[in-house]
Amino acid sequence: MIKKFDKKDEESGSGSNPFRHLEKSAVLQEARIFNETPINPRRCLHILTKILYLLNQGEHFGTTEATEAFFAMTRLFQSNDQTLRRMCYLTIKEMATISEDVIIVTSSLTKDMTGKEDVYRGPAIRALCRITDGTMLQAIERYMKQAIVDKVSSVSSSALVSSLHMMKISYDVVKRWVNEAQEAASSDNIMVQYHALGVLYHLKKSDRLAVSKMLNKFTKSGLKSQFAYCMLIRIASRLLKENEEGHESPVFDFIESCLRNKHEMVIYEAASAIIHLPNCTARELAPAVSVLQLFCSSPKPALRYAAVRTLNK
Amino acid sequence: MRGAVGFEETRRARGRRGGGRSAGLQEPSLYIIKAVFILDNDGHRLLAKYYDDTFPSMKEQMAFEKNVFNKTSRTDSEIAFFGGMTIVYKSSIDLFLYVVGSSYENELMLMSVLTCLFESLNHVLRKNVEKRWLLENMDGAFLVLDEIVDGGVILESDPQQVIQKVNFRADDSGLTEHSVTQVLQSAKEQIKWSLLK
Repeated sequence: MIKKFDKKDEESGSGSNPFRHLEKSAVLQEARIFNETPINPRRCLHILTKILYLLNQGEHFGTTEATEAFFAMTRLFQSNDQTLRRMCYLTIKEMATISEDVIIVTSSLTKDMTGKEDVYRGPAIRALCRITDGTMLQAIERYMKQAIVDKVSSVSSSALVSSLHMMKISYDVVKRWVNEAQEAASSDNIMVQYHALGVLYHLKKSDRLAVSKMLNKFTKSGLKSQFAYCMLIRIASRLLKENEEGHESPVFDFIESCLRNKHEMVIYEAASAIIHLPNCTARELAPAVSVLQLFCSSPKPALRYAAVRTLNK
Repeated sequence: MRGAVGFEETRRARGRRGGGRSAGLQEPSLYIIKAVFILDNDGHRLLAKYYDDTFPSMKEQMAFEKNVFNKTSRTDSEIAFFGGMTIVYKSSIDLFLYVVGSSYENELMLMSVLTCLFESLNHVLRKNVEKRWLLENMDGAFLVLDEIVDGGVILESDPQQVIQKVNFRADDSGLTEHSVTQVLQSAKEQIKWSLLK
């Protein structure tokens, strides 16, 4: 990845900027080299980066030119350069809404998602789900289910997070993957746990009893992930408020026990949750308040501010 | 800091998107991150990703970035609140990195995203998290962010994992002619010595 500095720019003191004076039509013209063989990964990467940069800066791409660029980009799948491939996935996601016929990359993405290169599988899944509609989702359902329970954590995470996004498009299909999500929740990986919990909650949230059971199960089995714990605390608080349960319940006890978790993030979440519960007695509030007071003298500014804000409520 | 009087009324009136935590009105969700962006020290956007429609147009996004920049560029406090949102930030040489979430999100969670972003970029840019290096390695930066947040969900929080997956490092051979000469010189020395053995 060599990017040469322009000596002139360096001397002028303003620092070199490879994106200075970037012109969309010039870049799109350059993108024609994507069609050449053999593919020069470095040059193509540079041009692709410029396209994404332009998009990021708010440059408007018309449908025709976006589609042309998109199609040209698909040729780059012939190269095995890792960074280039990953940038292609990114480009697919960024251009999904402005280019036509994006589904032409479906077979390439499906191939990568089930292929041998673990590095490609997660990002390929995420790109694929960005362009998938309800019908297509059923076609790749089998792969998605396999991916959710995959041993490679990045594959599992990518599949789970994508499943979450897909609920907005095809809730009924994703609902069928609940068992896979359940299995993924027992992963050791802290992010996979978090993602699996999220998917399970979103699938069950309309059924209070199901949520209650799920909460019960997870609080007993003890998750490792601090992110999952924070999510559980929020689910628990919501349950408490919805059920208008007294604070004698095991749900409250769970939240309270999180004040003794080893992660600051979890302690803070628990303290915050308790403070926000309606009808808390002074006795119930006390441990939460004292924890927050401790945080007020933390060396970390964010924690101090957060604690002060919460206490102020 | 808000006074106690009239707080309850204003809190209810502001509704869901109001500032401060509205207890229990929010659905527990994995969708935590509203936006991540990196600005230069003039407040201009270098990289930005918005994950929901809080600011649906580019114009609104850039206005927001400008406001955030004005509010944060001169202070050192890592965290700011306005418009019903919490913004955690970090400056590095001539860059400002921001992570934005609703004001009812866990601030430490937002910080974990910011930290992961910074640490990952730190590795990719060989400890030069500054504008020049960022621009020269924008693809690496795009990929790093893509591995940390997906559609507003925190995908990965461990910079080591991000670095491994992105597998990208800025090439520093072009940076100074002086250091290239040094490398060549020492290589020549090594060959000379190995021939003498």
